[in-house]
Amino acid sequence: MFLAFKEMARAKVRFALLIASIALLVFLILFQQSLQNGLITGFIGAIREQNAPVLVYSVDGQRVLQGSVITPRMEAQVRAAPGVGDVGPIGQGTFTGQPSGGSDGDTFDTTLIGYELGPDGGGIGAPTNLVEGRLPTADDEAVVSDADVRLGFGIGETVTLLPGGKQIAVVGVAEDAQLNVAPTLFVSYETYLDAIRSVNPDAGTPLPNVLGVVPAAGSTPDEVVASINEQSLELDALTRDDAAAKTPGVAQVQQSFNIIFLLYGLVVPCVTGLFFLIVTFQKANSLTLLRAIGAPAGRLVSSLLIQVVFIIGVGLLVGALLYFPVSQQTLGGIPLRFETAAVVFWSVLLLSLGVLSSLFAARRVLRIDPIEATTGQGVGA
Amino acid sequence: MRLALKELRRRPGRFTVATIILTLIAILLMFLGGLLDGLIASSTGAIRAQAADAIVYSDTAQASFVRSRIEPDVRAEVEGVGGVTEVGGIGNVQLGARVPGNGPRDLASVALFGYELAPDGVPEPPPYGQAWADETIKASGVEEGMTIEVGPARTPIEIVGFVSDTNFNGQSSLWASPDTWRDALAANRPDAQLGPGVFQALVVRGDDSDLTTAIDEATGGATDSYTIDGAVAAIPGVTEQQNTFNQIIGVTVAIALVVIGLFFALLTVERTSLYGVLKAIGAKSSTIFGGLVVQAVVVTGIAAAIAGALVVVLDLVIPPGSIPLLVTPGRIIVSVVLLLAAAVLGCTFSLRRVLRIDPASAIGTTS
Repeated sequence: MFLAFKEMARAKVRFALLIASIALLVFLILFQQSLQNGLITGFIGAIREQNAPVLVYSVDGQRVLQGSVITPRMEAQVRAAPGVGDVGPIGQGTFTGQPSGGSDGDTFDTTLIGYELGPDGGGIGAPTNLVEGRLPTADDEAVVSDADVRLGFGIGETVTLLPGGKQIAVVGVAEDAQLNVAPTLFVSYETYLDAIRSVNPDAGTPLPNVLGVVPAAGSTPDEVVASINEQSLELDALTRDDAAAKTPGVAQVQQSFNIIFLLYGLVVPCVTGLFFLIVTFQKANSLTLLRAIGAPAGRLVSSLLIQVVFIIGVGLLVGALLYFPVSQQTLGGIPLRFETAAVVFWSVLLLSLGVLSSLFAARRVLRIDPIEATTGQGVGA
Repeated sequence: MRLALKELRRRPGRFTVATIILTLIAILLMFLGGLLDGLIASSTGAIRAQAADAIVYSDTAQASFVRSRIEPDVRAEVEGVGGVTEVGGIGNVQLGARVPGNGPRDLASVALFGYELAPDGVPEPPPYGQAWADETIKASGVEEGMTIEVGPARTPIEIVGFVSDTNFNGQSSLWASPDTWRDALAANRPDAQLGPGVFQALVVRGDDSDLTTAIDEATGGATDSYTIDGAVAAIPGVTEQQNTFNQIIGVTVAIALVVIGLFFALLTVERTSLYGVLKAIGAKSSTIFGGLVVQAVVVTGIAAAIAGALVVVLDLVIPPGSIPLLVTPGRIIVSVVLLLAAAVLGCTFSLRRVLRIDPASAIGTTS
């Protein structure tokens, strides 16, 4: 151990460069992990965090809330499907919203999700994870997503929809309930219909975008999905989790990030392995000499591994420290979050891969023959 | 320099791992860039294609077609603005399209545009019920002469030909007459239908250098006008995507710089005694450092070439409609230039060490 740290102290620049490159890579991986999770949560959080176990789209909607339209005939088919319990219409539209708590009259793309209010505001399609305030119990009241509060959508504020000037009061805050990475308001179905009429006087009466379905007692969501989809080729029923995961764009985002993670993940062990291999070559004569004067091979290898673990460990620490302040920010409307699970996962993975890659160098060390100290050859021979 | 190239030729193994690492980094750079280009291209094609000087939305629309309404009286005000030469209405509706021969649940995503002024590469509006289609829709099995049905009302649209690079919001665009679009909108999206003469936005041609300001002033603030570039940047998410990806690309270039610096610093340490000998027989520091730079540039060039080829293959292998990757020569060239700049800069880590080598150290060394 003494040898390992002494060497690092004597070649600070070399080891600092390696730590810097590992730290930057770790920072990028963690940052992009937060970006991916934030993007997906902002994109489909409202679907994941509403209470209907099954959502029924029209096939034409292609699993986009706003793109789907449920005709009365389709609604009747859903209600008639075996295993279906309660059914509620859900409407979604995007508006220009001006929160009273915003600065300088800022306006935002604002999503409205309308559902039929039940007792205490908890109808089918209501947000599940209320963290502050209460659910809407009357028209013109709304629950917002927690990410929107900083934009001026806090409890007690009023959101004005433009044009038309319809006003909605914020009465509650739900966790991770955004849709389309925009401020999202859960309102009564009537409020949603009024909002459409207020911004477009030419609008006809909108039909529900999707239906929220609660399975009847004794039926599971999967059974209800199969039952509804058998009713018509125009119906596209999905469980809540499937509706979130199969929203267009989600899979592409995940695939793209997976390729990026794979490439970054490969670079770290390659850089570490290359570094220690070259350093081992450079130390060839010294290592041979150490073996010749009685240093056991195990000690030299453990010295190498100590360096690897230390360097990667410091790189991980610096990378995580760089990541921490960035993970507290909001990037282009996407709230980032410190992903502890990701930090642990990548730390274990990169440390394991780094140690594995250094085994090439360790193999070289183990092949040293002390007799070569007398012939001038070493590990580099 | 010849010595450096000779070493690369005679001992390529020494540079193999560095080349592999740089290849991975180059793939990352090109993939990230291609992803950014793909996302932007598929979202903005319909706007970029507009052969116009301004796009005019209503004041509260936030540059969104579906939230914008331009009444005929506002249009008349825009037409009366000095410097305005042509004004055309435009609107769109995003729908699912049923394609003959495809499964009943296998729909193509389309953005149906109604237009009066033809965008670049798009012919004049076809007769009622027909449309020009972006060629990306071919991946869904659409052919010229085919009639597809759009939206829940199954509005029939006959495809009369194809155009390119006009997608919008990641969807294949269809270009039809205003009446075709207006009727499809009313039939399929009654909540978004518009009255006669009302458009979602206006496309304006003119010769005033500050057309957008003049239009917004003339309408008393009832409009929100953009240049074409401004309208592209105003599409929600475009600027954020560009900024985020460019930051990630920047840090990746920094990593390449550090990796190259690290590798050549190690090589320099290894060769210190050899450089001492070279200096002792008259080689200048600049010659030795030049050799390092040449090696870094060659290694980086090889890595970039391999990465470029692999990214092109990746682009061919990825099925249409999955990852929005767009590989262009421009993006590859930019990535290569960035990597080469990082290579040259990375070598400067070794410059100080090369300058410090004392020719006298050659005396008495064994290697």
